[in-house]
Parts: sequence; structure tokens; C-alpha cells
Amino acid sequence: MDKCLLLSELPLDGVLKATAAAKYPGQHCSFRAVAGTVPLIKNAYALLLGPAICLYNAKLSMNMRSLTRDPRPNNLLFVNYSQDDIIFGFHDKVREAILQAEDDYHPEVLFLITSCLQEIVGEDFDACVDKIRPLVNAKLLIVHTENFTCEGAAPGVENMFKSLFLLMAAQPKKEKTVNILGLWTSTARKTELAELLRKKGVVIENVIPSYCSPSDLEKAPAVQCNLVLDQYGLPLAKMMKEKFGTDYLYCRKPYCPDSIEKWYQEIAEAIDIDLSAEIEVLKRETEEMMIQARQSLSGKSCAVSGISGRIFDLAMLLFFLGIESKVIMLQTPLPEDQPDIQKLISSGVDPLVFRGDNSLKNEQLLKELSPDMFLGAFDRKSLSKMAIVPIVLSTSYYKLGFESTKEVLRLLQEMPAGLVALMYKEKTLKETIIAEGEC
Amino acid sequence: MLALDLKHDGFPVPSDYFGVLWALSGIDDLIILEHGSTGTCNYNAFNYMIMNRQSPKGKLFSSGMDEDDVVMGRDTKIKEAVAELDDEYTPKVIALVATGVTSVIGLDLQGIIEEIQPATNAQLISFSGGGFAGDYHAGIKEAFRSLTNNIIKEPKEGKPFKVNIIGPTIDSFNINSDLAEIKRMLGLIGAEVNTTFTFSTDVDGVENLACASLNLVTRDIGIESAEIMKERYGIPYYYGLPFGVKGSIKWLNDIAEILGLELKRSVLRSELERYGFSVLELVNFLQDLDNLKAAISCPYEYALGLAGLMQEEWGIDPSLVSLPLRPDRQKMQSEFTRRKIGRVLIEPEGKELEEAIRAVNPDMLFGNSYDLLMAKDIAVKVHAAFPAFDHIYRYDGTPFVGLRGYAYLTETLINQLNQNPEVFRN
Repeated sequence: MDKCLLLSELPLDGVLKATAAAKYPGQHCSFRAVAGTVPLIKNAYALLLGPAICLYNAKLSMNMRSLTRDPRPNNLLFVNYSQDDIIFGFHDKVREAILQAEDDYHPEVLFLITSCLQEIVGEDFDACVDKIRPLVNAKLLIVHTENFTCEGAAPGVENMFKSLFLLMAAQPKKEKTVNILGLWTSTARKTELAELLRKKGVVIENVIPSYCSPSDLEKAPAVQCNLVLDQYGLPLAKMMKEKFGTDYLYCRKPYCPDSIEKWYQEIAEAIDIDLSAEIEVLKRETEEMMIQARQSLSGKSCAVSGISGRIFDLAMLLFFLGIESKVIMLQTPLPEDQPDIQKLISSGVDPLVFRGDNSLKNEQLLKELSPDMFLGAFDRKSLSKMAIVPIVLSTSYYKLGFESTKEVLRLLQEMPAGLVALMYKEKTLKETIIAEGEC
Repeated sequence: MLALDLKHDGFPVPSDYFGVLWALSGIDDLIILEHGSTGTCNYNAFNYMIMNRQSPKGKLFSSGMDEDDVVMGRDTKIKEAVAELDDEYTPKVIALVATGVTSVIGLDLQGIIEEIQPATNAQLISFSGGGFAGDYHAGIKEAFRSLTNNIIKEPKEGKPFKVNIIGPTIDSFNINSDLAEIKRMLGLIGAEVNTTFTFSTDVDGVENLACASLNLVTRDIGIESAEIMKERYGIPYYYGLPFGVKGSIKWLNDIAEILGLELKRSVLRSELERYGFSVLELVNFLQDLDNLKAAISCPYEYALGLAGLMQEEWGIDPSLVSLPLRPDRQKMQSEFTRRKIGRVLIEPEGKELEEAIRAVNPDMLFGNSYDLLMAKDIAVKVHAAFPAFDHIYRYDGTPFVGLRGYAYLTETLINQLNQNPEVFRN
């Protein structure tokens, strides 16, 4: 608890101090994030170039993903960076792998994903690849993902987005068209946003990086506006603006009805359409649902962590529902979170903020705070032991606009399948342990 | 020249780094601190998950190395992390494990230990391979060697009928069930398990390894530790897993003889009546197993045991055996020659295995998740090896080894054949 800050005490630069020297599990790395993203690009393969540690984990992550509602295409190829390669050079093996990938899979694009080691060893990897380019038909896109230079995955993911810029070419402008940047799902074109745009005759040309092909990306600069839903896509949007003059709107995902209304209005303005009638209906529906939800949720408390989009706007939504956010666990707030933070504070909402470097310490904090619910991804067994209801919001991440908030409301009110049994078991175990102690 | 295996349908073989983690993770009171960026540690939450949905939480930590540490070769973070873990969780042992980055920059973990051990309550040990010292078996062996040399204490008293099980680690396929059956079988002759090295033990258990009267080695990678204990403490060892009815009875009789115990006839009769049913008791007269072929893609001990069971008790031809890793000793490979296995592959590339399976065209395949995914057209597919990312084996009632293992596998085989009766028509 002594390492927590109140939201109002957050330093201006937003940087939170480390709360543990020994970290678990720590931030996930760029290599993993990029390896999980490049399979979304159609007609592409990716050569992952790293030590067995990174390759094995990357493969397994994709395999685990293959068992979910949101599997990724199997287009990852692996080249082990061995000790011999460190000593004698990696270039020949990379060249051989590129030529083989070209022969075996005929990709339009071949991503070359580096790991920490290339950067530390200092081989001029880009120069090596430049020599190979004329020998292959595939476009070779290098994505550097050195993780030791930062604590998060952001630079590598931004590099992945920026690499796509090399596929783009100047195009005549097409009115009433948009790209969506920063949405990772196969269902992007089924979202409320997509549906509203379609009704207004607006065409979504690309959802980047979700299932767009290299030829789609070539034409991407033609759109009237890039809608940038997260910070990772922003550098690419800026590059497209500078080189091709493609306008962009940076509009991270909101949660409160007022915020969503404003979000839609900004989008509508950017592409010269009128969504006011549709927004009014959807907003009213959502607010009615909130009134209903408030009846069962008001007076409860929660902890929040790892949410897609504007986490502090979600905290505001929870406030409107009568739910007290006792702590928000996050690594680093973004500068653009400031308006939401100020709005929360001025509404009298001042939760603890905690940088969760060690999961055991997170648990200790949760035990002390004892919230009713935990929103985000956290070990469900541990939460059940503490009688905290885990709320995983992942199904809401695939939705945009009011539908996302409606999904959050549903998830807040429904017990996940299997949870009753898990909580019963943990409660009974706890009682048994206490009883044994008394004996 | 063989083409480069880009592992599109297979998996990159885990390195020694993983072996070290997995060998140490089954030991309570021991904390692993890896020196590297947090991304590596975060990734491990995934790879533990594919092993029965385990988690390294509370067991594995990262020093959170950053760019300055790499450039300057700075060791402040790992020292601070050791002090924090020592103070807050009071483990008996902290293992410092190198990652790839640590190895490349040449940080001397042992040197750090010499500097900070006096101020640390936990015993510190180090593993410097960093993923460049071979495959995960090499890492497990390294961990076993280090624990054997550094943690075991001189025995105060010998325990006559206590045995250690040397070899199981958290990555071992079907380990809960197999261990339960081994313990049950030992109970049939009046023997008990002293320590399971290293799955499901604690530092005390490792310290007391030398109290046992016999080491049962279940994986070849445990033989080195067993030999050290034989030389140092005079503890004999017995290597091998009990597969099938004949194999299980021989295993029990061998162990009983070493320990001066006996497998009583009444016990044996009861076991055979409960678990010794033959395939012929489970099929009808029009279900003919004679022409069925099997492929086995499992580590050495499972491959050998399953091949013997198929040949001697099911009457099924194991036409192809593939060993994902080379057995530790050359003579082990000759066991397959002696059994006249049609084809034996050792550490095959993905395409080589795929082609061999296609050539053999087996009716059944025992293998890991990748093997089973690759062999979509094979009628009977049984998860029988690591990695098994799409298969849970947490329940302890599905053994492969021992008499109950024989019964479970035989039932599983017949049920799967009944689900795929076309195999009888080929």
C-alpha cells in the first residue's frame, strides 16, 4: 500500500515508480506483440529471428491463441539465432531462410522480426537484408523489436505499423472512405462503428493491421481519413499525413456515453457525415441500460487493470454506475489520458494508482483493499481465494462505440461460467484451513 | 544439403534455459531469478500454461534488465532483486538464471554470488547457459547436476524401504497420473517414495535425497545424478518405466528384489484380475488387430515402453518410432533395433517426420500436439508427449505406466478404434 499513489498525486510526466526489484510477470515484450500481430497481414509470412527462448515462446503463444475465439493465421517461420551465429555471423543463415521462405511459401510480403540479440551483437542486419532484396519477389519488411531498451512493447509495435508504410503508394483521394488503425480483430467490419459508417455510405478500406493485404495497404493513403484507435498506429498515421497528405483522427476507445457521443461526433466531422440521429438513439439505449445496471451494481467496489482504450474513462463509467474504483493498476499513463484523469479528480474520484511489477504484491494489495470485483486479466483462482469476482472484458475489446459499453455492462452483471464453482471451492478450502488451524 | 527447417508446422525446440526453469520449478522454497528483460519472464507465463495450465507465479522472477545494464554490464538490478526476494519470501535457495542477453554480454553470475552470498540468507546457485548450451534436456541435466552437487546433505540415517524417483519435472507429460501409479505400485511391495526429484518436492526433499535406499530413474537425463549418488552415498539405481502387464510385473519384481521385499502372489492376482485385461477380451471376433500399424513420436522412455507394449501385448506393429531428442546414451538406441522396429528417426526435422508418417501410413499415432495436428488423416491419435498445448492431463487417474496405465491405454485404444471402425476394413 505504501507504494501506491492517489490519482491526484500522479507526477506530471505520468511515470510511476517501480514497485518491486524482482518482477513477475513484467511487461510483455515487443517481439511477442509483433509476432502476435504480423499474422494478421494477408499474403504475408514472418521470419522470426531470435534465440530459442523467444522462438519457442512465440510459437506457443500462437498455438494457445489458436484455441480461442480469435485465432491467428499460421504464418510464422522460425530461424534460431545460435551461439555460433553470434560468433561467426547470422547473415548467411538469414539469407538462406529468406530464400527458402520465398520458395516454399511465395509470400507477397516477408516480415523479418529481430529480437534483442541482433541489437546487442550489433550486426548490420538491415544492410544484410538490402543485399537479399533483389533476389526475391517478396517485399522484405524489417521490424526491430529490441526489448531491453524499454519496459513495454510499444516501440516494436510502432515499428511494425511503420514498416507497413513501405507498402504504400500515393493515390488519388477517395471521399467517404476511411482506414481504421489499431484494431486487432477479424470482426472489425461487424462493429457498431463500421455499421454506422456503412449506413452513411462510408467505406472502410482497411482495418490495419487486421486482415489487410499488401495490395490493400498500397492503396491505403487514398482514404479521406485515418481513424487511429490507439497509440501504436499513431506514428504510421503521422507518416501517411506527411508523405501522402492523408488526414487522421486520433480517437482512442471511450466508455462513457458522453465520451462516446463526442467520439462519434469527431469521427462524423472528420468525414463530413451526420450521425447525430443514430448517436441519440444508441446513447439513450445505453443510458437506460446503465440505469438498470446501477440498481445491481451501485455500492460495489472494484480494481481495474489492463483495459483496452481509455482506462480512466472506464473508471468514470464505473463511477456513474455507483462502483468505487479502489485502485487502477497500470504501467504508465499516456499524456492523452490527462483530460480523463482531471475529469475523474474533479468529480471527486481519486483512486489509488499502482504499477504492478510483482503479481504477488498486486495480490497483497488486493487483499488489503478487498474490492468486490477485478476488471481485467488476473489469475482467477487467486481472485476467487480473496472472494473477488473476476471480470474479463475481452469480448468488449472487439466492439466499438456504445455496443462496447453495453457489453461491459453485461459483463459486470453476469457471473462468468464456472466461477460459482471455483469460488465455492476456494471458500470451502479456506474454511477448512481455518478450522484445521483452530483444532 | 538439407533445407532449413523453418518450423512452420512444428515447434522450435526449447533450449537449456527452459530445462533449467522446469527442473527447478517443482521445488518449493526455491525461487528462480532470471537476469534479463521482463519480456522473457512474461512470455514464460505462456509456456508454463501449456503444461497443464501451470503458472510460474511466486516461483519465477525477472531482474528487469534494461539498456543501461546491457551497455554498462551493470549488476545492480539483480543484486537488488536478490535482496528483495531473500527478505520478503525467505526462500532456502535462490537460483540465478542467465537469459540470452546475460550470456551475450558475459555477465558473471557466479562472481555476483560470491560477492552477495555473505549478506544473503538463501543459498545462491547460478545457471549461466542462457539458452545457448543445448536443448532443454541439457538444461534439466545441468539443474539436476547442480542440485545434486550443491544441495544434497550427508544422510543422518538410511531409510530401508524408501526410494527416490529421479527424472520427473514439471514438463513431464502425464506426470500426475504416472507418479500416482508408480507410488501405488511401490505400495504393493511395501516401498514408499522419499523424494520425487524434482517434480513436486521442496528443498528439504532435495537435501534428504541421500536417505533413500534406491533411486528409480524415470528419464535418461536423471542417470547422471543417480550415478553421483551411487558413487557418493552408495545408493543403487534402477532405470526404466513400467509399461504393459509384463513390463510392470518385471519392474515390481526387480525393485522388490533390490529392496529385499516381495511382490506377494495374492497381490499380483488381485492386480491382474482388476487391470490385466487383454485386448482380446475387449474386441469381438470381427475386430482384427493383427494388421494395424502404429507410429510413436515420444521421448525415449515412453517410446520404448509403448513399442514394447504394442508388440508384446496388443499385437500391433510399431512401424515407426521418432525420438524428438537423442537419447543420452548410444546403447539406448539399439533397444529399438533389438525390437526390430521398422524405422527409427532421431531428432527428425518436421518434414522428415511428416514424410515418414505418410510412408508408413499408420492407423494410430502417439505423439505431441504438433504431431497430432500434422497427421490429420490418421484415425487414432493419442496425446502422449510434450508439448501438449491443447491437452490437459491434470487428473491423476489416466496413467500410461504401470498396471493401471496398461488398463487405461488398452481401454483408450479400443474405444478409439470403435470410434474409427474403418481401420478394421483396410
